[in-house]
Amino acid sequence: MATDGPQPTDRVSDGALAAADAPSGPPVFAVRNLWKVFGPKATRIPGTELAELSPEALREQTGCTVAVRDVSFDVRPGECFVVMGLSGSGKSTLVRCLTRLIEPTSGAIAIDGEDVRGMDKSALRNLRRHRAAMVFQHFGLLPHRTVLDNVAYGLEIQGVGKAERRARAAEMVEKVGLAGMEGRRPSQLSGGQQQRVGLARALAADPEVLLFDEPFSALDPLIRRDMQEEVVRLNREEGRTMVFITHDLSEALRVGHRIALMRGGRVVQCGTPEEIVGSPADDYVRDFVRDVPREQVLSVRRAMRPLGDAHEAESGPALHPATTVAEAIETVARTGGPARVVEGERCLGVVDFKSLLRVVAGLGTGGRTEEKAAA
Amino acid sequence: MSSTTMTAPARAAVLRHRAVRKLLLLAAVAAVLVPLADARWGSGSWPHALTVSLDGPLKSTSTWIIDNRDSHWLFLYFFGHISGAIITAIHAVYVVLLALGWAGVTAGAALLAWRAAGVRAAVTALLSFAVCGALGMWVPTMRTLALMIVAVAASVAVGALLGLAAGLSDRVFRGLRPVLDTMQALPAFAYLLPVVLVFGIGVAPAVLATVVYAAPPMARLTALGLRGTDPGVLEAVDSLGATARQRLLTARLPLARRELLLGVNQTIMMALSMAVIASVIGADGLGDRVYQALSTVDVGSALAAGIPIVLLAIVFDRTTAGTRQGRTPPRSAWAVLAAATAVVAVAGRLLGSQSWPDGWTVAIAAPVNTAKDWMVDHLYSGLPGIGGTADWAAHYTGWVLDPLRSGLQGLPWWAALLIVAALAWLIGTWRTALTAVLSLALIGVLGRWDASMDTLSQVLAAVAVTLVLGFAVAVAAARSPRVERLLRPVLDVCQTMPQFVYLIPVVALFGVGRAPGAAAAIVYALPAVVRIVSQGLRQVNPGALESARSLGATGGQQLRQVQFPLARPELLLAVNQAVVLVLSVVIIAGLVGGGALGYDVVFGLAQGDLATGLVAGVAIACLGLMLDRVTQPTKGVRDGNA
Repeated sequence: MATDGPQPTDRVSDGALAAADAPSGPPVFAVRNLWKVFGPKATRIPGTELAELSPEALREQTGCTVAVRDVSFDVRPGECFVVMGLSGSGKSTLVRCLTRLIEPTSGAIAIDGEDVRGMDKSALRNLRRHRAAMVFQHFGLLPHRTVLDNVAYGLEIQGVGKAERRARAAEMVEKVGLAGMEGRRPSQLSGGQQQRVGLARALAADPEVLLFDEPFSALDPLIRRDMQEEVVRLNREEGRTMVFITHDLSEALRVGHRIALMRGGRVVQCGTPEEIVGSPADDYVRDFVRDVPREQVLSVRRAMRPLGDAHEAESGPALHPATTVAEAIETVARTGGPARVVEGERCLGVVDFKSLLRVVAGLGTGGRTEEKAAA
Repeated sequence: MSSTTMTAPARAAVLRHRAVRKLLLLAAVAAVLVPLADARWGSGSWPHALTVSLDGPLKSTSTWIIDNRDSHWLFLYFFGHISGAIITAIHAVYVVLLALGWAGVTAGAALLAWRAAGVRAAVTALLSFAVCGALGMWVPTMRTLALMIVAVAASVAVGALLGLAAGLSDRVFRGLRPVLDTMQALPAFAYLLPVVLVFGIGVAPAVLATVVYAAPPMARLTALGLRGTDPGVLEAVDSLGATARQRLLTARLPLARRELLLGVNQTIMMALSMAVIASVIGADGLGDRVYQALSTVDVGSALAAGIPIVLLAIVFDRTTAGTRQGRTPPRSAWAVLAAATAVVAVAGRLLGSQSWPDGWTVAIAAPVNTAKDWMVDHLYSGLPGIGGTADWAAHYTGWVLDPLRSGLQGLPWWAALLIVAALAWLIGTWRTALTAVLSLALIGVLGRWDASMDTLSQVLAAVAVTLVLGFAVAVAAARSPRVERLLRPVLDVCQTMPQFVYLIPVVALFGVGRAPGAAAAIVYALPAVVRIVSQGLRQVNPGALESARSLGATGGQQLRQVQFPLARPELLLAVNQAVVLVLSVVIIAGLVGGGALGYDVVFGLAQGDLATGLVAGVAIACLGLMLDRVTQPTKGVRDGNA
C-alpha cells in the first residue's frame, strides 16, 4: 500500500476543510462559519436552535430564510474554487457575501488575512476596485456605452485617466478575443461576446481574485464550452485565483481544482473533482454525480491496486498518478498488460483491465473496497 | 336574483366572493346610517345644515392679501421675489426672441429640431413657424413661446429634483407618489385660483400655475426611470467599487435617459396646454387671443390663434419625442447650430424688420367667419332627415343632459355617497372608497352640491359616449392593421393638442352651451381611450390567443373570452383616463357656456370674486379626486389578489 500517497478526504464535515492536495501559501479568501439570513431581525437565527428548523417552519415562525448556513472554506492562491449547487442552494448569495455585495449575517471573511467584514466603506470600495472583480450571469453591462468604454468602466471608477484606461481596456478587449468590436454596443453583441466584455471588464482592474457568478449559464452549449476553456486558460496560464459559481456539474468538473457542493445553504462536500465523484459524502452528492463519466474524472491513483510482486514493479508502461482512468484504459488496451503507476522513482501500484473496469462500472476502486460497492 | 332561490352551496360560493362580501357589509352599514341621516337631515339635495360657508373667511383672506400685497414682508421678500424673477426671466427670453427676429427664431427652431429629431421634424418646425407668421400671429406666438420656455425650464428643474429625490429614497417615493397621482387627476382649472389668490392676475401666476401643473410628469418619470434601472447592472457597478455619486452619474441617470426624455416631452405638452388655459388669469399670447375671441364667439379670430397653438404643440412634440436614441451629438454640433442661427438672425435683421413682415400675412378671420355664418344658416338646423348640428345639440341637452342632471340632483345625497362608496370599494380598496366618499361629501359641505351634480351629469354623459365610440374604434384598430395605420397619425396629433383648442371647432359647429362642451370633451378624450384600449387588446398574450384560435374560437369569441378579460387592466385604465380627461374639458367648457363649476371659476375670476371661484376650484378638485378614485383600480388590489 502506498502510504505516502495523498489520502483523499472522503468526507468533509460541515465547516471542516478539505485536506490540502498541495497547499501553496496562505489562503486568498478564508471564510469561517459564514451565515446569511434574509428577513427581519436576522441576527437572532445563526447558531441557535431556530437555525435547525426546516425552512418552511422557520419562515412561518420568524419570517426569515437562511440562504447561507455556517459555511467555511479557504480559497488558495492560483486555485479555481468552484461552488456548485442547484438554484436556491445559496451559492450566489455566498459569492456576493465575499465582497459584501450582500452583507453577511454572521461569521468571518478574510482576504489575505485582512478582515473583510470589519472594512469601512472606502476600504471595501478599494477591495472591490483592485482586489476582487466579479463576472455576472446576466453580464451587467452598461447598454449606453461601447464595448471599449464598458471594459474601461472599472478603471474609470478608479479614477484612471482617459488615455490610460482606454489603452488598458483595448488590451483586455484584444485578450478576450473581441478585437475590432470596440465601438459596438452591448445590444449588438451575442450573449457569448457580451460575457467576454464582462470578463474583460473584470480583468481590466487586474484583480487578485476573479469571482464568477454562473457566468455561462445564459449561453449556448458550444459557446459555453469556449468560454470555459478561456477561463481554464486564464487560470492555468496567469495563475489567477478564481471563485466560480455554477449549477452545472460538468462545468464544475472542467474548470475547478476544488469543488464545494452546496445544498440548502450548507456545504455538503468540499474536495477535488475526483473526491467528489469518487467518494461522494452522502446520497445527495452520489445522486448528483451519478451520470458523470467516471473514467474521465477519476485518476489511476484511485484505480490502482497494490503491487502483486516485485516483477510487476519492473515491467509495463509507466503512468503518472494523475492520469485519468480513460487515458489508462487506452494505454492498457494498447499494450495488453497492466500498467505501473509511477511517481518520481517510486512505483505506487498497478492498474490492469480489472481495476480500470471496476472504476467504469462504478464498483469500488482498486484494492480498496468501499461501503458503496456493497450497496 | 334573490338568495332564496339558490341552493346552499351556490349561496356559500356567492358569499365567498369578495365583491359580494363588500357590498353586503356596505349595505349593512347603510341600513343603520341611512335612516338616521334621513331622519336628521332629510333626503334630496345636500342638507343645508351640513354646509359650511367659506365665503366670509375667504373674502377676508383675499381682501387681506390684496391690502397687504405691497407691504407685508411675506409678499415683499418671498412671493414678490418669485414673481419678479419670473417676469424678469420671461422678459429676457422675449427680448432674445425679438432680437433673433422672425428669421432667426424660425431658423433656430428648425435647426434645433433637425439636431434633436431629424429632417422631418426640422421641416415641420420651419413650416409651422412660417404659418404662425403668415396668420399674423407672430407676436402672440413669441409671447407664448417666451412663457413656455421659462415655464418648461422651471418645471423640468423642479420635476427632475423631486424625481431624483423620489428615485433615490424609498420614503420620499412613498410620500410623493399619491400626491403626484392626485395632481395628475385634477383638471387644469383647479390650479388657477390658488395662485391667483396669492399672486393676483398676471404673467407670474400663469407661469406658476403652469409649473405646478407640468412638473408632476417629469417628477414621476424621473423617479420611475431611476427606480427601473436593471438591478443586475447596478450590482455590477457596485462590484467594481463605484461610489454612490459615480453610480448615479454613470449608471442610473444614463440608463433612465428614455424616461427622462419622455418626462421632458410630457412636461412640455402639459405646459403648453396650461400656458394656453392660463390666459384666463393673465397670460398673454395665443391663449389670450383664443380666450378673447371665444368670449365674443368670434370663431375666425379664435381659429387664427388656435392654429399656431396646434402647430406649436406638434413642433414641440415632434422635436422632443423623436429625440434620437444612442449617440449623443458632439458638443461642436451645438456651437454650429448657435452660429448658424445667429447668422440667419443677422441676415434677417439686415434684410428687413424684426417682426414678421406685414405684407406676408393672410387674414383668415373674416373668411372663416363667413364660412361659419354659412354653416349657421345651412347646417345648424333643418337639414332634411338628419336635422342639424344645433338640433343635435338641443336633443343631446334636452334628452340626455337634462334628465341626467335632474336625476342626479334629485338623487338623495346619501344615495350618491353610497353609490360612490360601492363603486370605489368594488374596484379598489376601502381606502380609495373612503377618499372618494369624503371628496364628494366635501363638495356638499362647501355648498356646491347642485353645481357639482350638473358638472357630473355632463361628465357621465360624455364619458358614456366616449367609451362607446372609443371601444368601437379601438376594437376595429386592434383587429385590422390597416385601420391602425390610418388611425395612428390622427391619434398622434390629437393627443398633442391642448384642451383649449378643442373648444374652437365645437363652438363653430354647435354654438354655445353644454352640448359643445360635451363634444369637445369627447373629441379630447377619445384618442387616449382608443390608444389605450387598442394597445391593450393588441398586447394580449399571443399564446393565449393562438390557443383560443386553435380551439376554433370565432373572432367575437376571441374578443369576448380572451382579449377583453386579459386586457382588463388596460380597459379600466381607459375608463379612468376617459373620466379624467372628459372632466378637465367639461370644466374648461365653462368658458363657452358649459355652466356649473367651470363657470363659477370663470365668473369668480372675471368678477374678482375669488371666494366663489376658489370654492368652485376646490369642488372641482374634489370631483376630480372622487371620479379618479371611483374608476382607479389600485395596485394594492391587484397585488392582493395575486
